[in-house]
Amino acid sequence: MFTLFGGRTVGKGTYWNLNSGERIDVDGTVTLKGSRADRYVKIPVAGLCIAGPLAGLLFTVVIPFLFLFVMLALLPRTVHASGASLGDEAQVCLGCHATPGMTMTFTDKSTVSVHVDGSHFKNSVHRDLSCTNCHSDVSLDNHPAAKYASKQQFLLHLASACRTCHADEQVLANPLHQRAITRANAPPCSECHGSHAIRKVPTKQAKQNTTQYCLTCHKQQLSTTINGHTLSLTIDEGRLRGSVHKDHTCTDCHITFSRDEHPDRRFSSVREVSIAGSEACRRCHIDKADQHKGSIHFSLLAQGDQRAPVCSDCHGSHAVGKKGLADTLAGVPCKNCHQEIFSLYEGSVHGKARKDGKGTAPLCSNCHFAHDVKPTMASRSPKDMCLGCHAGIASAHKAWLPNTEAHFDAVACTACHVPEGIQRSVYLRVTDDSTGLMASDTVVRNLLRTGRTAINAVQGKHIDADEVWSLYKQLNSEHAVHMSGTVGLTSRRQAHQLAPKTVAVRTCEWCHSANAAFFQSVSMATAKPDGRESHIEVDKSAIGSLYAMIPLNQFYVLGGTRIAAMDYLGAAMILGGIAVPFAHGTLRLLTARYRRERKQQAARRGGTGR
Amino acid sequence: MKRIYLHAMPVRIWHWINAVSFFALIVTGAQIRYRDALSLMTFRTAVDVHNWFGFLLLGNFALWAVYYLLSGKLKVYLPDPNLKNFVLGAWKQAKYYGYGIFVGDPNPHHASPDSKFNPMQQVAYFNIMLLFMPLQIVTGILMWDIKRFAPVISFAGGIKTVDTVHVFLTLFFTAFLFVHVYLASLGHPWTQHLKAMFTGYEDEPESAH
Repeated sequence: MFTLFGGRTVGKGTYWNLNSGERIDVDGTVTLKGSRADRYVKIPVAGLCIAGPLAGLLFTVVIPFLFLFVMLALLPRTVHASGASLGDEAQVCLGCHATPGMTMTFTDKSTVSVHVDGSHFKNSVHRDLSCTNCHSDVSLDNHPAAKYASKQQFLLHLASACRTCHADEQVLANPLHQRAITRANAPPCSECHGSHAIRKVPTKQAKQNTTQYCLTCHKQQLSTTINGHTLSLTIDEGRLRGSVHKDHTCTDCHITFSRDEHPDRRFSSVREVSIAGSEACRRCHIDKADQHKGSIHFSLLAQGDQRAPVCSDCHGSHAVGKKGLADTLAGVPCKNCHQEIFSLYEGSVHGKARKDGKGTAPLCSNCHFAHDVKPTMASRSPKDMCLGCHAGIASAHKAWLPNTEAHFDAVACTACHVPEGIQRSVYLRVTDDSTGLMASDTVVRNLLRTGRTAINAVQGKHIDADEVWSLYKQLNSEHAVHMSGTVGLTSRRQAHQLAPKTVAVRTCEWCHSANAAFFQSVSMATAKPDGRESHIEVDKSAIGSLYAMIPLNQFYVLGGTRIAAMDYLGAAMILGGIAVPFAHGTLRLLTARYRRERKQQAARRGGTGR
Repeated sequence: MKRIYLHAMPVRIWHWINAVSFFALIVTGAQIRYRDALSLMTFRTAVDVHNWFGFLLLGNFALWAVYYLLSGKLKVYLPDPNLKNFVLGAWKQAKYYGYGIFVGDPNPHHASPDSKFNPMQQVAYFNIMLLFMPLQIVTGILMWDIKRFAPVISFAGGIKTVDTVHVFLTLFFTAFLFVHVYLASLGHPWTQHLKAMFTGYEDEPESAH
């Protein structure tokens, strides 16, 4: 294309005759001499000075070297591919063992594939060995039937063959081997390295990132046993790659591990491994970890209840899902432990709304928080949570409910907004005036057992009316406290059965009657150290007792909490009021004759009767 | 036959509004308190009616207070400041009700516009109008909106105290009502005082006592 031929008319430039090497400088236009057999090229002198040596170098040095390199690289493959390098013995063995599906059955009926893919073996680092180098008990003359008890025994026997060449020093140099070999149930070499397709490990590992390195073993079926319980060490690579942490390497979380370090850690239970593992999450998710420290889950853990969930229980360990997953009915992790409550929730107005696709309907964490999981109370509903979504609900209640705020203070939202059959209770609670905290369960129970005054309620018995008074006095003697009453659900689980508002209680009599069902169940609510509520049964007559006059001065349900003594006093007063006219009137009737006679006598005397 | 103009028009209106209110408040109050035993009306109706009549009673009380204070007639409620005179007067009246009335003695007290009440009535109505009624009205208002008046209720010792005072006064008023009606029938003839409370005039037969 850059080559010109004789007879062509060309413009200004420097032309070279490739046949003779003659240089032709053209100023105007000129016709090149000769025919199509004479080839010319147009190159400036400076261009020739650079291109010339380069072309020369290419031809004389680089191309031959490249050729040599490719040849050297391809040569072994070419040679092996020919099959010529496999020993005669291997050729003979493969004559049978190349058949796919060949198996050997052991005494215990376990089987192993004895099919060998010739091409795998040809590419393995052991390609120069003959079969009997490893399978030393087998030869062309001696090919025994299965003499091993099990597949495991067979593989372990073969592993000892590896040790023939790979000395202990070489093997134990790898910390992974140190750990594996010292175990009683150490896996045979082939479990990690394969059998006939063994590649040169360092070359392979050098190309791997850390995760791949770890997965070399951990994608195998690995497990360990802690105190008789099995802990799987197998990582599902697919799920790991699908997790939100896919771009992290194993050692980002497992910080004490590396290619060179594989510490031998000791745990007393499988559960401890998960608990310790969750510490890794804290390194990045500090805020969430701090929130978790304020949760009921953490409190339980701190109290030694290892069932309490840690990060991995909700989020998974290696298959950590996207944040939004926990906000779905299918993915919410709470149900893993709280299945019964979740079923109740699913039947609730909120659960049904979720099922119907209303994404704004609350799930567990909307009321209970996600990490700072708060304990629920049977005596109260999380009113602020309810009002957080149902913002206009206070004024909606005001339209029909007198003293709405007083009701909101004393009645849990759940007490009215669950189906009718669910049992409600009255809860008495003592609150410290200065701290605003509920009385401690330990303190109250101690006072009930060992108080100075006549508190004789013990566990399993209820608190009598006079004991409510004594308890109040004693608590009040240390700090200023006040006692209040609330109406809530008997079981906090049932708070999850929130019903549509058409079902909600709207009849005043439902509560405002001494016959109201919840007055039959009275408890004192106290606070456990972890923030949960404890309930101690109170004699139901305490509500209407004179003893409750002072302690329960703030708990008042029209028609429901009347003091029984006032009924007797009232009856006496009204009967007295009726008795006065009756007694006085009767006396007047009985004395009427006397007055009549006196009047007649006076008339006879001619007086006026005065 | 003497004819005394005993009860001025405002007093008569006040009295009968009071009577109706008392009846309504006692009935609805009982319904509110004894829902488990009484079913005269729904709880909600009872509360609403109780509130209406409560405020009617409050307005009526204000009417009474304004009338008696402005007209200067409040003195009919005031017992004799001279303790000796008061005790002697009260003793005479008590002796009459406890003995004289049976043997045909005359009533030591003669009602007149300036002296409507005998010493015993003075003590009773003085307490009722200047102590019990205000207390009943105030406790009623406090319970009408317990959230709004929470600080006052708390100062008074709590809602249960306020309720107990309210109920106790109701019991007193109810018991007193029987005595009040009975005493009102002691005129000659027995309708004498009742008629006066409608017409304002009391016919006092010269010889009837």
